[in-house]
Amino acid sequence: MSMNNLILITCRTIDQGVALEGGKVSRESVRAAAICAFDKEDFKKLDCLVGTPIKVATDFGEVLVYSTISEEGPHPGIIFIPMGPWANQVVNPDSQSCGTPTYKGMKATVEAIPIGKVLGAVELINTLKEA
Amino acid sequence: MVEKINTTTDVVCPFCGTLCDDLEVDVDIKENKVVEVRNGCQIGTKKFFASNPSDHRYEKPLIKDNGSFKEVSWDEALNKAADILVKAKRPLLYGFSSTECEAQGKGVELAEVLGAVLDNTASVCHGPSLLAIQDVGAPTSTLGEYKNRADLIVFWGCNPVHAHPRHLSRYSEFVRGYFRKDGRNDRFIIVVDPRNTHTAQIADLFVQINPSEDYELLNAIRAILRGTELDGKEVSGVQMENIIELVNKLKTCNFGVIFFGMGLTQSLSHHRNVDAAICLTRELNDYTKFLLTPMRGHYNVAGANQVFTWQTGYSYSIDFSKGYPRYNPGEFSSVDVLIRNEIDASLIVASDPASNFPAAAVKNMFKHPLISIEPHHTPTSVNADVILPPAIAGIECEGTAYRMDSVPIRLRKVKDAPGECLTDKEILERLVEVVKKKKGE
Repeated sequence: MSMNNLILITCRTIDQGVALEGGKVSRESVRAAAICAFDKEDFKKLDCLVGTPIKVATDFGEVLVYSTISEEGPHPGIIFIPMGPWANQVVNPDSQSCGTPTYKGMKATVEAIPIGKVLGAVELINTLKEA
Repeated sequence: MVEKINTTTDVVCPFCGTLCDDLEVDVDIKENKVVEVRNGCQIGTKKFFASNPSDHRYEKPLIKDNGSFKEVSWDEALNKAADILVKAKRPLLYGFSSTECEAQGKGVELAEVLGAVLDNTASVCHGPSLLAIQDVGAPTSTLGEYKNRADLIVFWGCNPVHAHPRHLSRYSEFVRGYFRKDGRNDRFIIVVDPRNTHTAQIADLFVQINPSEDYELLNAIRAILRGTELDGKEVSGVQMENIIELVNKLKTCNFGVIFFGMGLTQSLSHHRNVDAAICLTRELNDYTKFLLTPMRGHYNVAGANQVFTWQTGYSYSIDFSKGYPRYNPGEFSSVDVLIRNEIDASLIVASDPASNFPAAAVKNMFKHPLISIEPHHTPTSVNADVILPPAIAGIECEGTAYRMDSVPIRLRKVKDAPGECLTDKEILERLVEVVKKKKGE
């Protein structure tokens, strides 16, 4: 199933903080930051199990991350991805001439991809290198 | 055999801008390993343990040769790094917020010698706060004043339970102060955020706001404070009666403080949000005492702003290409120069822009030579051409760092750095010398 008209916000989480200090290239960082947290009621509409890979797409790119249900809901219509390499594939790079990209508030669509492969941090970043 | 343990007390945690200075760290002297950390939060504790030798810690200088890294001497690595920087027409020096002030000063010197673009991580976090402060000033204070006096705390667009885990217990929420003897019970906590964060879940009042509509709500509060009656039933998703209740709370406290985070700086209105928050704080002083403080992320990003400012006149986004410092965020800020593909070599110090910058900027950074001064394997360092391994400041060497309220605190050393690691300051000092020699200076 897919959902449109969501707002994506990137954020800090303590797990993402621990993982970035403990090993940015480890699988632990995938578990901490390659996730997208949904409002509980929104997640039902996706009709999939928690942990199912989902594709998050914005005007600026797309990325595969694992789905999860937010502990900090309700926040209907808003999804959260922790700051990091996965979130940065889909954020708005435009700084409106102030230097800071717009990391919060992108329009997003999501689609469950049960057979999708969520890449590790280095694998994902290496896709940005020219062949 | 009995382990010989050395305990260092009053250790300053080099993780976030709270700079907790009460940690106790046990080091196994024979193994030169951290074996116990007391008083630290989960993230700070992890940082101390991650300093131990591991398969993701660099201990020797490395140069990329045919796609794989080979160990080289310091002289060879510095020579290669200097070659890259001297040959570049428009090098970028970025990072600096997770190292100490003396290394930051050496970074400024290197940027001047090279005619480089110089930037720190404020560029992608609290840069808009600095812009707003330059526009309208900032009524602010040290964290100790808040601890002892504040009876109303607003967390706007920040979630310290996750990002600054001990802030609440040391300075803002649970802590007992000179005039707040009953700690949490003597304080009223307000959280403004689009979601019911863990910080909001332990607050007295949670104001759930629509994403990216902080500017509207801040200005509605200012208008009501001035006695204006607003049309409409809600602003930014908040009912009018709730905004009026919020205004009454703000103006009737004895001593209030707004702590604000990325919710204001990284959403659409950027520095205009912070500008409005500062103006609100100033106007609240017509009724009571009110101050505000940005929740700085990296432990010494405030120091990077201080050092860059006292040496160049500007706190971030600095261009030395004309031989003197020029400042223009949006033009000389790292993400913007990278997106315009202006940069033809990068030196990254104590940072991981491959993880933290938008993909469009990272793509262009990878098109050109990359040097990384970084203790650990990161998506940036594994893609570098030269890796210069440093001692971790605040764990393996001393130095000065500035807390989020711009109070300088001396970092402590608890153990030696592994392998051949040098301090960031030594690395940059030696790099400046090699670069100067190559440029014939």
